[in-house]
Amino acid sequence: MTPIAGGAALNLAFGFGILTILTIFFYTRNGDQRLYLTGQRLALGVSFFVFLATFILAYQLIISNFDIDYVARYTSLETPVVYKISALWAGQSGSLLFWLFILSIYATVVILQNQRKHHGLMPWVIISLVIVQMFFLVLTNYVTNPFKATEADFIVANGNGLNPLLQNVTMAIHPPTLYLGFVGFTVPFSFGISALVNRDTSPLWIQSIRRWTLVAWLFLSMGIILGGWWAYRELGWGGYWAWDPVENASFMPWLTATAFVHSIIIQEKKDMLRVWNMVLIILTFTLCIFGTFLTRSGVMSSVHSFTASSLGPIFLAFVFFILIASFGLMYTRMNDLRSTRRMESFTSRESGFLFNNMVFVVMCFSVFWGTLFPVISEAVRGTKITVGPPFFNQINIPIGLILLGLTGVGPLLAWRRTGKKNLIRNFTFPILTGLSSAIVLLIIGYRDYVVISFSLGAFVTATITTEFIRGIRARNKKFKESPFTALKMMVSKNRSRYGGYVVHLGIVFMFIGFTGHAFDKEKEFSLKEGETEHVAGYEFELIQLSESERPNHYAWISDLRVTKQNGEFVTNLHPEKRVYFHRNPDVNRRQPHSELDIYSTLNKDIYSIFSAVDTENGVAFIKIMVNPLVRWVWIGGFILVFGTLIALWPRRDS
Amino acid sequence: MDVIGDYGLILIFFVVAVIFVLQPLLLPYLGKPVVELDINVLKRKKLLLYRQIKELEMEYEIGNINDEDFHSHRALLKQEVSAIITALDSK
Repeated sequence: MTPIAGGAALNLAFGFGILTILTIFFYTRNGDQRLYLTGQRLALGVSFFVFLATFILAYQLIISNFDIDYVARYTSLETPVVYKISALWAGQSGSLLFWLFILSIYATVVILQNQRKHHGLMPWVIISLVIVQMFFLVLTNYVTNPFKATEADFIVANGNGLNPLLQNVTMAIHPPTLYLGFVGFTVPFSFGISALVNRDTSPLWIQSIRRWTLVAWLFLSMGIILGGWWAYRELGWGGYWAWDPVENASFMPWLTATAFVHSIIIQEKKDMLRVWNMVLIILTFTLCIFGTFLTRSGVMSSVHSFTASSLGPIFLAFVFFILIASFGLMYTRMNDLRSTRRMESFTSRESGFLFNNMVFVVMCFSVFWGTLFPVISEAVRGTKITVGPPFFNQINIPIGLILLGLTGVGPLLAWRRTGKKNLIRNFTFPILTGLSSAIVLLIIGYRDYVVISFSLGAFVTATITTEFIRGIRARNKKFKESPFTALKMMVSKNRSRYGGYVVHLGIVFMFIGFTGHAFDKEKEFSLKEGETEHVAGYEFELIQLSESERPNHYAWISDLRVTKQNGEFVTNLHPEKRVYFHRNPDVNRRQPHSELDIYSTLNKDIYSIFSAVDTENGVAFIKIMVNPLVRWVWIGGFILVFGTLIALWPRRDS
Repeated sequence: MDVIGDYGLILIFFVVAVIFVLQPLLLPYLGKPVVELDINVLKRKKLLLYRQIKELEMEYEIGNINDEDFHSHRALLKQEVSAIITALDSK
């Protein structure tokens, strides 16, 4: 199929989108069910044509049809097939089409899943979903069309090729995962808008979106963690989080979404916080769109902003449209949103959740402010004042530690109120564990945030352990079950509760990993074959410096032998210095890249970077970083995913 | 030829999609929508309350809440369930 078919498919999707909105809107006025069925099918048609356009672009990328500008810019003949496919989301127009593609998958599932359910809510859910699809269809049809023909001044016989930083398996997975999270929040947002339109603000709409919210939250979390993993293993600066605007763009909706995941529990169980939940889901969705704006508009410069574009005003207009339309609608429904119940006590789970919500939102605001400050300062004063990691760390480390502490407090509080006796009983063991950890750490010689973070981690772990042990004991007493059976039954009957605790445990692991950053050590040096250097108690010897020509790059490979000071062998590391597009006669188009090598243990990572090579004298310029506890971050990520999957697993009674 | 073939293929997709979309309009009038039946809403509320009662009982069994709070809260939830069951019976 030719690109013409792709462009035609996008045009047809746009036309079907307009008809969907009109048809379902008329249905909401006159109630003729035939119109609703037609509207549903039109909406499925929108998704179908988007799928078709996406598959056509993917096919053009695979067959290297350089007549299409996008294909010529982001692939070359040497690009491996897997990266030709991942080039689908490497550039601006492709990534917007990919956003639309994922949204269309979600829309199709929502429509098919609810064909005979939620007759009250679904019409406006479909309208809301299609409006978002239409926005991306406008962009891909009229602003940045991925099927545009190659311009006369950009004819590359061999293709421009994909950025070497993106030629990485993690980078082939990270963006789709992140997008599944970003786009996924369109579904709960659409249900929220529909609930407002229908004045159905009871906890029932919350029930409909609970699983959708968790799915989107899971993907967003996985996307953020994979992004950190990619940055750590590819960018070569030794860290996984730099408060880069694009990282922040995904972190902000994650913060509000996490608050939402907690607060919907209160609305579901207590029919409280109706207004707050609406605010949170509107903010989360808006921040998802805003995040895409930050990534794709070129308004910020960062390692992620590979493209700059003129999309900014359109995106910003859409962000304002969402905010004005959603909050305007909410304002007209304020009477319906009033909860009939009030908080009964400060020492209740409801108030604990509300407090944690407030902290999440404050953190989100601080990240938002820090991210936008350079843009605002440039707009107001004409000079761009960059806000770096020190600002974010100074504000967000204390807030993060408060959140970590609350992770341990929440489960110990009962709904409505916790009596004094229970308060003492529930908190004694976790507090004693936290305090004794702090004392031991202070005696060993640790200070400041390190002590607070580790002891809070101990406190939260004690809370979670207590909850599990008590639950097992209670079942053992009541049903005479063995501890293993009791654990299995307890978790399967209360998946969201115990899945949530497992997620909290994952967060504790991640905080332990973050705290390890306080002990990082690094050194840069040059070595010839046979020479040695010492870093953080290790000896590094350059055994060999070799070179190799591979299909899409040329590499210098260093063979570093790592031993302890006492001579005990640790590992061999092979960081590489690569040059991509090395056959390109234009030297300026060749791209150097450092492929690092890491020796990772639970205790620490030895991180090696081959910064540069002096081929004439056979000298390798090496940078070594010893980063303690990094692996705990990734293990924490796995635990978080596992816990969310437990919470997501369907209940038997549903 | 490719271009002609592609236009033909897109045309086929379009025609099939139009038939699929228009088909419901050819049906006889289906009447007014069956908006979320009250009975279903009540059933879902009942299920939600049952879950809350079960969770409350679990909190009590593991010792997170005292006797007084447990009994008063459970009585409240049961009262709500009773009201829903009465409403369901009257439908």
